[in-house]
Amino acid sequence: MKSSIVKAVGVASILTLAAGGLTACSSDTTSGGSAGGDGKVKEIEVWTWAAGYDESAKIFNDTHDDIKIKYTQIEPGNKGGYDKIRNSITAGNAPCIAQVGFETLPSFVAEGNVVDVTESAGKDKDLYAPAGWAGVNVGGKTYGAPQDQGPMVLFYNKTVFEANGVAVPTTWAEYQAAGEKLKAAGIKLTGTYEDYDYSGFAWQAGAPWYEIKDGAWSITPDSPANLEVADYWQGLIDADVIGAGIWSDDWAAGLGDGSIATIVGAAWFAGILKDSAAASSGDWAVAELPQWKAGDARTGNVGGSLSAVLKGCDDPEAAWTVANWISTDPASVDELVKGGGVYPASVAGLESELLATGDDYFGGQVISDVFKTASGQVNEDWAWGPGVSTLVGTLGTGMKQAYAKEGGATVATALTGAREATVSELKQQGIAVNE
Amino acid sequence: MTTSLTSAAPPPVETKRAATTPPKRPRSRTSRYAIWFVGPFVVLFVGMYVAPILFAIYKSMFRIQRDALGLGGTQEIFDPLFNYAYALGDSTFIESIGRVLLFGVVQVPVMLGLALGIALLIDSASARAKGFFRLSSFAPYAVPTVVSALMWSFLYSPTNNPFNQLLGLFGLDINFLSQDFALWAVANVVTWGWTGYNMIIIYAALQGVPGEVLEAAKLDGASPWRTAWSIKIPLVRPAILLTTIFSIIGSAQLYNEPFVLKQSTGAIDASYTPIMAAQASLQSANYPYAAAQSVLLAVGVAVLSVLFFRLTSRRSS
Repeated sequence: MKSSIVKAVGVASILTLAAGGLTACSSDTTSGGSAGGDGKVKEIEVWTWAAGYDESAKIFNDTHDDIKIKYTQIEPGNKGGYDKIRNSITAGNAPCIAQVGFETLPSFVAEGNVVDVTESAGKDKDLYAPAGWAGVNVGGKTYGAPQDQGPMVLFYNKTVFEANGVAVPTTWAEYQAAGEKLKAAGIKLTGTYEDYDYSGFAWQAGAPWYEIKDGAWSITPDSPANLEVADYWQGLIDADVIGAGIWSDDWAAGLGDGSIATIVGAAWFAGILKDSAAASSGDWAVAELPQWKAGDARTGNVGGSLSAVLKGCDDPEAAWTVANWISTDPASVDELVKGGGVYPASVAGLESELLATGDDYFGGQVISDVFKTASGQVNEDWAWGPGVSTLVGTLGTGMKQAYAKEGGATVATALTGAREATVSELKQQGIAVNE
Repeated sequence: MTTSLTSAAPPPVETKRAATTPPKRPRSRTSRYAIWFVGPFVVLFVGMYVAPILFAIYKSMFRIQRDALGLGGTQEIFDPLFNYAYALGDSTFIESIGRVLLFGVVQVPVMLGLALGIALLIDSASARAKGFFRLSSFAPYAVPTVVSALMWSFLYSPTNNPFNQLLGLFGLDINFLSQDFALWAVANVVTWGWTGYNMIIIYAALQGVPGEVLEAAKLDGASPWRTAWSIKIPLVRPAILLTTIFSIIGSAQLYNEPFVLKQSTGAIDASYTPIMAAQASLQSANYPYAAAQSVLLAVGVAVLSVLFFRLTSRRSS
C-alpha cells in the first residue's frame, strides 16, 4: 500500500521533474512592449549593462516631450545579457534599443536580431570617431549608434616599476624582459588573457580570426600569423612571469597589493582598476601598447559597444534619434564617462571636459591623451563574423587549461579548439565555411 | 396477500428512491466542487508544463538555415529529425551525458548512504541533541545552490584554499579544479547541499516505523545494528527509492554548481552537462537545437526513472 502511493507520487514527480528540464531554460517573460504607439508620446525601451545610462535617460526624459526612454539595466552581455536580449526577441517583447558589443554585432546580424537603420543614421556619421563608426557597420549597413571604444594600452604600476628599476616597455620583447626582472622580486604580470581580452593581441598583430574568401567564411584563429602571437604568450606562461587568472579575486588582490604590476588591455580597464584595486590609487600609470617591432605604432581594440536597434522595434527612426542622442549629447556622455568610465566613440564625447582633466588614481596623468593616440592607431583590417559567442567561449575554456598547464594544453591548442567548435556550429546552421 | 404485498411494496420503492436520487445530487455536486479544486492545478500544469513541452517538441523539428555568409537573417525549415540526428552525432553533447551518468552512478549512492546513515543515527534511541543535528545537517539545503557553489569556488581556489594548507603539512598539494578532480569537486558541492534534504525525507519515514515492531525486536534481543539493518531500512525502503529517483533526476539536470565553478577552471567547459549544452546552443541562437537536446534529456531521464522503478518493484515482489 505504502509503496504503491510512493510509486504514484514517484511517477508523477518523474514526469513533472523530467519536464522541468524543458521549462527550466525557457525564456524570461519580461514584459513591456517596445513602444507605446498612441501617437502622442513615444516610449522607447532601452536595455544596457554599463552604468550611467540611467542618469542619461533621466536627462533625456527631462528635455524631451515627444519621446520618453524606459530604461532597464541588464547583466553584461556574455554574463547573461545577450541571452536575455535574444530570448526577448524570440518571445517578441524586446526593447527597441539594447547595448551590444562590437564583436557580437555580426552574430546578431546573422541571427536577424537587429534592424538596418542606415537611412536614418547616414546623416549623423560625422558625429562619430572612425573606429567607433566602423564597429556599428556590418556588410555596409548600419545597425545602431557607437557608444564606446576599447583601444588597447598598457597599464603599469609606476611605483613598483620604479622601485625595481624597470623601464616602461615599448616592445613585446621588452615586456617579457620586464616580466623576468619583476619575477625576481616576486612580482608578476597580468598574462592570463582568456577570450575577448586575448583577441586584441591578434588584432594588433594583423592576424585576423574571420575573413570572407570566395563567398564563404574562413575561420583562422590558429593561422600561422596567429600562432606567432600564441608563441609569445605561451613563452610568458613557460617563463612563469604571469600571475593569477584574470578576473579572479586573487588577480584583483594582486593589482591592489602590487604583486601584479601590469594590465595590457582596452581603455575601459581604467574603470576596472579603480574598482578592483582602489588600494593602489596613485601608483598606476598608462602607456602606449608594446609593439612587435620597435618604432611601429599599431594597436588593437577590445570591446566597444553600440546602442543597437533590435528586431521588432516599431519605430526604428525614433530609436535612432534616442541612440544618437545618448552617444552624442554632451550631458549624456558626461554621465556615461562618470558612471562607467567609458572611452566615448562620438566626437562630442571625446571633447568632454571630464576626459581632459588629470586623473588622481593615475597620479594626475591625463590618461585620455594616451587613449586618443591609441584610438588613432587601431588596426583597420579586423572584422568579426558570426558564431563569436562559441568562438570566444571555447577559447576561454582552452586558455584556462593552458594557463593551468593542464593535459598538454597550450595557447595554440586553445585557438585550434576554438576554430573547430566555431566551424562545426556554423556548418550546422548552413553557413558556408572554408576548411 | 394483496394487502401484505401492497404494504410490503412501498418500502422497496422508497429505498430505491433513497438509493437512486439522493446520491445523484452529491455526486454532481462533488464533481462541480472537484473542478474548483482541480482546476487551478490543471490550468497551471497545462500552461507551465504541458504547453512548453509541446512547444519544445514542435520547435525541435525545425532546422536553422542561414545564407552562405550568414548575414542575411535566419530561416527555420521543417526537418523533423535533423536536430535529433545531429545531437546523437554531437560528441560534446554525448560526452556531457556520459559525464552526468558517471556523476550519478558515484554521487547518488554516496549521498544517499550518508543521508541514510545520518537519519539512522539521529533516529537511534541513544541519540542526544537530535534537534541540533537534524537542523545542522539540513542547513546546507537552505543555502541557494548558486551561493553554495560560489562559496566552494573560494574554498577550491588554488592559491589560498584551506584544504591545501592542511594537506601541505603532509607535503600534499591538490588542485581540486584540475581535469581529474573537477567532476568530483562538483559532486562534493552537490552532496554537501542535498544530503540534508534526503536525510529529512528518510528521517520522516523512520518516524513512521511502528514502536511495537521496534519493541518486539528489542525483546527478541536484536542489537541496534540488527534493528537498523533488518527492521528500519526495509521499512523505509519506499522513502529511499523516492530519494533515489529525485537524485537521478537532479543529476540529469545538473547545472548551477558546474556553471558557477566554470568561472574558476578550464576543466569545466560550456557543454559540461546536458543542460549546459542546451544553454550553449541558446547562446549561439540555435533554439531548435536546444529544444531537441532538452527533449532528448527529458526522454532519457523518464526512461531511466521508469526502468529503475520496474527493477526495484520486481525485486520487492
